[in-house]
Amino acid sequence: MRQAIEKLGAHTIINVEELGRLSVFLFTVFKSVFSRALRMSEVLKQVAFIGARSMPIVILSGLFTGMVLALQFYDVLARFGSVDLMGSAVALSLIQELGPVMTALMIIARVGSATCAEIAIMRNEQQFDALQCMAIDPYRYVMAPRLVAAIISIPLLTAIFNVIGILGGYLVGVLIKGVSGTAYLQSMIERVVWDDVQMSIIKSFLFAIVVIWIAMGKGFFVHLEKGVSGAEAVSRVTTKAVVASAIAMLFVDYIASSFLI
Amino acid sequence: MAFDCSDHGQYKVLHLTGEVDLSNSSVVKKSLLKILEEGRSVIVDFSALTYIDSSGMATLVEGLNFANSRDLNLYIAGAVGAPLQVLELTRLNQVFNMVDAVEAVQE
Amino acid sequence: MANDSESPLIQVNGIDSFYGERHILKNVNLAIQPGEILVIMGSSGSGKSTLLKNILGLLKPATGQIEIKGLDICQASKHELTELRKSMGVAFQGGALLSSLSVGDNIKLPLRHHTNLDEKTISIMTRLKLEMMNLAGFEDLMPSELSGGMLKRAGLARAVIMDPKLLFFDEPSAGLDPVTSAELDELILKLREAMNMTIVVVTHELESAFKIADRITILFDGEIVITGTVEEIKSCQDERVVNLINRTPRDERIDAQQYLQRLTRENQ
Repeated sequence: MRQAIEKLGAHTIINVEELGRLSVFLFTVFKSVFSRALRMSEVLKQVAFIGARSMPIVILSGLFTGMVLALQFYDVLARFGSVDLMGSAVALSLIQELGPVMTALMIIARVGSATCAEIAIMRNEQQFDALQCMAIDPYRYVMAPRLVAAIISIPLLTAIFNVIGILGGYLVGVLIKGVSGTAYLQSMIERVVWDDVQMSIIKSFLFAIVVIWIAMGKGFFVHLEKGVSGAEAVSRVTTKAVVASAIAMLFVDYIASSFLI
Repeated sequence: MAFDCSDHGQYKVLHLTGEVDLSNSSVVKKSLLKILEEGRSVIVDFSALTYIDSSGMATLVEGLNFANSRDLNLYIAGAVGAPLQVLELTRLNQVFNMVDAVEAVQE
Repeated sequence: MANDSESPLIQVNGIDSFYGERHILKNVNLAIQPGEILVIMGSSGSGKSTLLKNILGLLKPATGQIEIKGLDICQASKHELTELRKSMGVAFQGGALLSSLSVGDNIKLPLRHHTNLDEKTISIMTRLKLEMMNLAGFEDLMPSELSGGMLKRAGLARAVIMDPKLLFFDEPSAGLDPVTSAELDELILKLREAMNMTIVVVTHELESAFKIADRITILFDGEIVITGTVEEIKSCQDERVVNLINRTPRDERIDAQQYLQRLTRENQ
């Protein structure tokens, strides 16, 4: 019995320690974003990686999500005789919820894992030690550009997801299920308001921060992982980063929704 | 670091005294290039030079390159001690025209 | 050579270092004179890497202080530390080049960051250093395209690009073939002469150490056993030093009973 409690206590301490470390990390990265000239070339490079090259998967997942939504709503709305409302239903689901969340998940899968691994490897190869010894701030040089790039790219990708999703809904709802095209679009115009779009933007902004923060943070502290080193440690923190950022993102989603809806 | 110029026949002599490093190599570069742009060949007098770093050497390399493009000559005279070792270490002693003293250059 | 009349360039005073519960460095004292080549040696786990990290300011000692050029690096302001670091170069074990930059851009990094030199000059300086390291023509390659030995040399080129007065080497010979290793030793000696450098080398290669060192410091289990010239080390009577120099494996008397037990016990 005592062993179990000791284990629980030790576990809790480790996790609280890590949370503290990650919080200080986030704060330091934020600070370095605002201090003096940020390397725009690196920001652009990251925008290309995080934003531009995520377009294909965002478009594909947006399309399929919209198409599935149309099918689902058709089924439900038909029972109430309100299929004409499909446009707004699909649009609102995407804009308020699925757009930000699904985009974030795609980014976690693609960018979160890659970024975490990259930074973990940099740590293992003493690249951060080298930067420090050259009196170059690793936060300003490596972390801040990625955070800025994520904040720029992810809301934009979310918007693209939403639009493509609405298109997907149109394809299935109107072209396959026979809902009136005019009604589809008209219901959107009538029932989607700025507050909804604003929610999408705010959520995607928050998700961007959460995802890139956890990915970088876990990679940065890979050398503190107990019991593993080298390639095994990199793979472990990457897995942890993907899982943790997904769960954190969903939590933030709940909090944001409770305030914004 | 101090430097001043004198003449040796058709050559302009650039006397370097003390240490040439990151803090002053760009000043040396400006003077050297200015002399070459005026169409005169140069002798860089190393005899009072105690230290030169790679920014200084890079400056001289640029000077040599420029001189060659204008069909001018650049000599290094009287290199001793650490600067001489730098020239050997970088193998630039095989690239520059090296002489023992300014006087050794034919006017 | 070493100037004993001048005050030490680096002064390490009674530092202790821990990793969790483990006591890695125990009351370490060391003075490094300007212009000398000091080699830090010890078996694996002796704490020599930790000592280096403390001197570089990457780790903070639990007790004691470290002064470089009179500056207490644990108390120094960010600005003071930055200024100091501009005159220090560190060659890390695997090169530690940034993976996203080419070899050339890696070497140019400190110059672009800390100086106002124009690109032409920076380019020539970089190529001079690459030539010195026998890496001519490699400047546009990415680190992933280089072998281990080349990475080390590129890291060294970066470490010396600003002609630092203080140079640190972490295991320079590890992973190098004997010829390249010998060339590197020669280079270290020439750099000290031509550039007035003070050089600190952490290594376990005896031959290199004896060839280049003015003084050698030997660590055992986190404690300094001896700091002295090559002659003094060779004539040292301490068993551990003798073993290290003669490369004899540790001669452990075994307890026959316990040994047998360890070999034949059942796994719980």
